[in-house]
Amino acid sequence: MDQETKLKLLRQIIVISSAFCILVAFLLVFNFWQIKSHKPLESKSIEALVQRLADDPKNEELREEIRDFDLLARKAYFTSEWQIKTGTYLLLFGGIVLAIALKMKTDIEATIALPENAPENPLKNRIISHRWLLISGVTVFALALLSSYLTKDFLKNYHPGLLSDAPAGEKSEEIQLISIVDSSAVLEADTAKTDTSKNNPKEVSTLAASQAAKKTTAADFKNNESSFRGYLGQGISYHKNIPTDWDGASGKNIKWKVAVSKPGYNSPVIWGDKIFIAGGDKVSRLVSCYDRNTGRLLWEKEADNIPGSPAAPPKVTDDTGLSAPTMAIDGTNVYAIFATGDIIAFDLDGNRVWAKNLGVPVNHYGHSSSLIYWKGKVIVQYDTSKGGRMLALDAGTGNTVWDIARTNKISWSSPMLLDLNGKMQIITTADPSVAAYDPETGKELWKADVLSGEVAPSAATWNGLVFATNEYAKTVALDAAKNGALVWQSDEYLSEVSSPVAYNGLLFLATSYGVLVCYDAQSGENIWEKQFDKGFYSSPMIAENKVYIIDMDGIMHILKADKSGTIVSEPKLGEPGFALPVFAEGRIYIRGKNSLFCIGR
Amino acid sequence: MKNISRIFLSLIFALTLFQANAQQRFPKPEFETGYVQPSPTTPEPRSTALEYTDVLVLLAALSLASWLVIKKRSRRGILWLSIFSLLYFGFYREGCICSVGSLQNITLALFDPVYKVSITVLLFFLLPLVFALFFGRTFCAAACPLGAIQDLIIIKPVSLPVWVRKTLSFIPYVYLGFAILYAATGTDFIICRYDPFVGFFRMDAPYIMIVIGIALLILGLFFARPYCRVFCPYGVLLSWMSKFSKHHMSITPAECISCKLCENSCPFDAIEIPEDEKIRTPKTLRENLKRFSLFALLIPVWVFIGGYAISSSHVLLSRAHPDVYLSELLIAHPEMKNDTKNIDIKAFRESGKTFDQLVENAAVIRTKFRIGGWYLGGFLGLVIGIMVMNQFLFRKKEIYEPHKGDCFSCGRCMSYCPVEKLK
Repeated sequence: MDQETKLKLLRQIIVISSAFCILVAFLLVFNFWQIKSHKPLESKSIEALVQRLADDPKNEELREEIRDFDLLARKAYFTSEWQIKTGTYLLLFGGIVLAIALKMKTDIEATIALPENAPENPLKNRIISHRWLLISGVTVFALALLSSYLTKDFLKNYHPGLLSDAPAGEKSEEIQLISIVDSSAVLEADTAKTDTSKNNPKEVSTLAASQAAKKTTAADFKNNESSFRGYLGQGISYHKNIPTDWDGASGKNIKWKVAVSKPGYNSPVIWGDKIFIAGGDKVSRLVSCYDRNTGRLLWEKEADNIPGSPAAPPKVTDDTGLSAPTMAIDGTNVYAIFATGDIIAFDLDGNRVWAKNLGVPVNHYGHSSSLIYWKGKVIVQYDTSKGGRMLALDAGTGNTVWDIARTNKISWSSPMLLDLNGKMQIITTADPSVAAYDPETGKELWKADVLSGEVAPSAATWNGLVFATNEYAKTVALDAAKNGALVWQSDEYLSEVSSPVAYNGLLFLATSYGVLVCYDAQSGENIWEKQFDKGFYSSPMIAENKVYIIDMDGIMHILKADKSGTIVSEPKLGEPGFALPVFAEGRIYIRGKNSLFCIGR
Repeated sequence: MKNISRIFLSLIFALTLFQANAQQRFPKPEFETGYVQPSPTTPEPRSTALEYTDVLVLLAALSLASWLVIKKRSRRGILWLSIFSLLYFGFYREGCICSVGSLQNITLALFDPVYKVSITVLLFFLLPLVFALFFGRTFCAAACPLGAIQDLIIIKPVSLPVWVRKTLSFIPYVYLGFAILYAATGTDFIICRYDPFVGFFRMDAPYIMIVIGIALLILGLFFARPYCRVFCPYGVLLSWMSKFSKHHMSITPAECISCKLCENSCPFDAIEIPEDEKIRTPKTLRENLKRFSLFALLIPVWVFIGGYAISSSHVLLSRAHPDVYLSELLIAHPEMKNDTKNIDIKAFRESGKTFDQLVENAAVIRTKFRIGGWYLGGFLGLVIGIMVMNQFLFRKKEIYEPHKGDCFSCGRCMSYCPVEKLK
């Protein structure tokens, strides 16, 4: 074979092997992307089937189906892996052929010749080299120094015993019932009697006499803003002479305005002349107390040095933050929870009463479920990606009264209370269940699998009906007296974050795309709907027969809470608003993005 | 042509053979029978007899390579020997233990009294260095499988500017320093973990390592032996030894006639070219002397800055150690301590140690990194200081000769020499 024929043959081999390599490389990248984007071992179908099996553990047919799906998923996974591996070797083989062909071609064409380039100036080269060496050295050391400033030494935060050596798996998933409280006196926080069950080894604590709260009545809770959406979390205020006209920019009807210390999406709570908000960032989390009449900061206390608290807060999104849950207050203490899992109680003078960490919630947005108080207990809805819990903590000591596992997925909604024929129920919403619990024992009373997705809106109740909604799911009305039987449902308007409120036979629901809609609570009939320019993350509140709801631009939309839906006024706060308005003695208190406002005539 | 055809056929044969033996990976059994899943990345230990055979093969390869380079001056012989080394030390021995990685075993044995190295490992580490001390880097020429796989695919090497080569030559020192630090603290053998070609030898590696290996091979088509020149930490030691070698290969078998024909023959830019004497004016010599003196005086400053900087980053560096990593993970996320799905936490739980012990050990390791950081940084500062200073150190060069430290003794340049042809 002459040289020219060899070269021709080699060129053809080079072209073919190059095309082969490119094709295999493309297929490999495609396969790799496919595996990354569709993980067969994390199949939603299998998850759904396993969920079904949990409800019906004796269903052998279902078990077989899960096994078949699992086998299929494993086959898919290993087939993809085989394809990648084989493709890699094919690429390697193609590359070797290409390299050999190129080398042979280069060798045939190579000739020994004198160097064409003019010799480089060695002095100049040395000057340039020394500069680049200096740059390299400085860069390496500068990066090392920079890393020392950017790196946090977690070991320094350790003190012996921080991580208890209790073996894994001790946490009971069963109901941990230990105390029964006399329920005859509504909201009598200090009359808790303990009935320690001697037969129950999983006893955690008792209410005992630890709750030294002064006597509070339902009227006290109605007169104050004790939790997210007020008394029982119903979204209804009992105050009168509420202003409907103000302007944050000009100061009209603004009694006082103070800048908040730390960001937070929680709403204020009020007891007497004191108003409280919480805030937090990566540096610290704190509770602030202001004089409700003057706006003067009375005290501000950090939630720090809590055993089990993470050295670094978990990652949260900006639209949730580390302090989204609204606090609860009972006239003795104020209770705050943060996305770190820290829960803390201060008395109304700012003295720490107790604090503990519930375990850092695994939550991709950040924990946002607010606290609610009920008869000496602080109720916590603690739904995370790693499982859900409902807890009741002794308000006086922080000890666990009951702690039950929930089977639902992660949620961001808050618990509320429903008075059903004189018997209280805690109502929660999550994917997939709207569930009711006995606040005394934590026992699940009923549940209805009606929701799906990332549930943030809390429930509303009226006349024994429970209303729940979520975006991409539906709005439902359930009959609490019939264990959550469906009364009506609609998928017309759905809320993403804002919680609905029910009042006088009407259900008000706000959407994140700016629609406020009014349904007949009994039938689900659409009575009216209003479209506004900005969407709602805040929830509607009822005060003096009016609906108050603030949009994301800080404009408060005030409408008559009746079938007319007449707009009363639309005053502007002057800064974005996400928290709820709270009411006290003819005044409205609103937390804007940066400030806390007091509005009054 | 004939030779290249043989290489081609040999490679295809080898590839087919290993492909035929390759097995699909199946999920680990989910029952407890006492069965131990064989490691997919670490080869099974060999019998002592075979280990000694390996040492003898290495000794023979080094001796033959030195003879081929120094006496026989045969590029063809070196090529065939490197193919043998690739097949034996690479594909058959699956790249372990190799001389490059052995420096970590030696380091760990020096710092950890419990850890012992076998005589085989010691010899794999020492023999190439001893040969380099006498004959130059003949190990790189024909006995190193990592070098061989790259050498065989050099197609059209390009010459890099001097300043780029000088700057890149700092990287192997950094890699060497970190490899020693991580080995000395019992953290990891990073040279083995990030070996780009061992995945080919074992036909199994994390996907990303295969991709890096292929990328280096593609780069190697045009930038000859990228791993050897830019990364190989063992190359630093070989280079030091080779600089003192008495019998290093020469381009010409007799007297250099400065014909310049070999000037572009080296794909590794390792030929030192005589400099024009005219550029050395008294003025330039004075300036160079001043710079040389200045940078010589600054060396202690470099050593201090380097030590301080690297020592300061000990928190970050120590996180590669599993105990430090686990401690920090649990301190930052205490709720994970009962996470039975986390294999690290599960393994720690089963060890029977307490969390206090874990964190205490992590603190000890972190202290080691802080102290080790001073040594590593000081070493890197010293290297930078000397490298910068050396830029102003002139040695008189009148003939074309290989740079003793950088030359891989591959013998390519020999065939370019007209004096060689006349021999």
